[in-house]
Amino acid sequence: MAEKKLTKKDVIRAYFDWIMFALSCQNMERMEAPALVRMMARVIHKLYDDVEEKKKVLLRHTHFFNTQPLIGSMIPGIVLGMEEQKANDSNISEEMIIGVKAALMGPFAGIGDSLMVGTYIPILLSIALGLSGESGSLLGPIFYAVAYLGVMFPLTWFLFNTGYKTGLTAAQSILSGGVKDKINKAINIVGLTVVGAISAQYVKAKIGLIYSSGQMQVDLLKSLEGIFPSLIPMLLTLLSWYLMDKKNMKIGTVFSHICNYGCGSNIHENTGTLTMR
Amino acid sequence: MSFTQAFLIALFGYFASNYSPWLIGQMGGWYTIGRPLVAGAIIGAILGDIQQGIIIGAAIQALYIGLVTPGGTMPADVNFAAYIGIPLAMVSGSPAEYAVSLSVPLSFLGVSMVYLVITVNVFFVHLQERWIKEGKFGLAGNIPIIGSVTNFVFRFFIIFLANYYGANYVKQLIELIPTSLGNFFIVLGGMLPAVGFGLLLKYVLKENIELLYFLFGFILISVFHLPIVPATIIAMFLAYIDFKYSKEEVA
Repeated sequence: MAEKKLTKKDVIRAYFDWIMFALSCQNMERMEAPALVRMMARVIHKLYDDVEEKKKVLLRHTHFFNTQPLIGSMIPGIVLGMEEQKANDSNISEEMIIGVKAALMGPFAGIGDSLMVGTYIPILLSIALGLSGESGSLLGPIFYAVAYLGVMFPLTWFLFNTGYKTGLTAAQSILSGGVKDKINKAINIVGLTVVGAISAQYVKAKIGLIYSSGQMQVDLLKSLEGIFPSLIPMLLTLLSWYLMDKKNMKIGTVFSHICNYGCGSNIHENTGTLTMR
Repeated sequence: MSFTQAFLIALFGYFASNYSPWLIGQMGGWYTIGRPLVAGAIIGAILGDIQQGIIIGAAIQALYIGLVTPGGTMPADVNFAAYIGIPLAMVSGSPAEYAVSLSVPLSFLGVSMVYLVITVNVFFVHLQERWIKEGKFGLAGNIPIIGSVTNFVFRFFIIFLANYYGANYVKQLIELIPTSLGNFFIVLGGMLPAVGFGLLLKYVLKENIELLYFLFGFILISVFHLPIVPATIIAMFLAYIDFKYSKEEVA
């Protein structure tokens, strides 16, 4: 079997597919996953001949994925490298690729948001404001655009390309080390913990059942939060996992249940007696 | 404002929105021409007074200089504030303070549009999944282009109409959107990620007992309020301990 290899051109195109479309179809359910699917869909014919194999690859990238698209461009790079390696070596497991994505998306989002959005951009903008805030000089906007793009464009490509090379070699060296299962498990632990952590950040649901009798009011939410902060979002996440994994419920069904609950709670909110938020 | 001017401003406003892919994604769009200071220069050029555009843009920029938009949450959306606030202030000949005061309700309108767009977009993800299962890989790969239509509709047309019909229209537009509708999308938007995480868990989880790691990560944030990077380092520590002390498996 001939070796499946991506050319430099493929990697550059994958970079642009990610950088451009990371957010263009962002959605509340899977966030930036559609862009990963696009990136893989455009190189898939170079990696696999079998249609069922191609489906498997693309489907594993439809899962929830969210990071800071620019600083986090390293992750799609790693994914691309690992997928190329996997096409040649069936020893690389699907779990490893999914685990790596899950483990990295949180930290890269955190670093990107604080360093680029929270530090680099405000510094550039304050210099630019100093240049043109009072006078309305064109110097400020030009300085900002040049300083921002001049750094970010090469940096994002560097991150993506480094990720790609890392993905290729890391997968190889893990396999040759003979501790594949242990490393898989370690990646899995980091992945699961990070998924738990970002669930706590993203999922928001409240229950506002207030039992009142005369002067006495019992706020159910307050008592629950006292036992376990964010208990409802956690239960909601576990419930949707349980329904999909253990009850084999279709995503669409779970989705519509949640929509119904959302609608229901909104109506209740308007009547005022039974508030759910 | 002439039709052409409103059209051009709306076009740039769309390119400058967070979800527009066309100027190398977020890089040239949201983080470059999406910044009110840069937007001020562009709008100024379209309306024929670059200097005034930049002065008003700078005033709005100062208000939102430290705006960080982490993850799926959006505290304020500067897109409408810049591409509706600046031109309306310029046309009416008002001082920069007028644009700044207008920018606050406009940024909230922008936020409800963000939630609307990313809720509607859920439809496209399911379409993409169906197309993959049917073997239509080309179409599935084009979902990010097809799906960008939602953002185009809610950015281009609102910016165009607001600029073309003027300040009174904007006031009506903000009043038109009932708070309950905005609430609805925010409530729904808060719950939907649960489905995404549930699906991810289905693939990452091998044994049920491993849910403990998930719960551990959840508690690190919800109870201990750790930032994500230290939480990841703790996770790496756990993984290392597991790696070091678990028995070698015979391959």
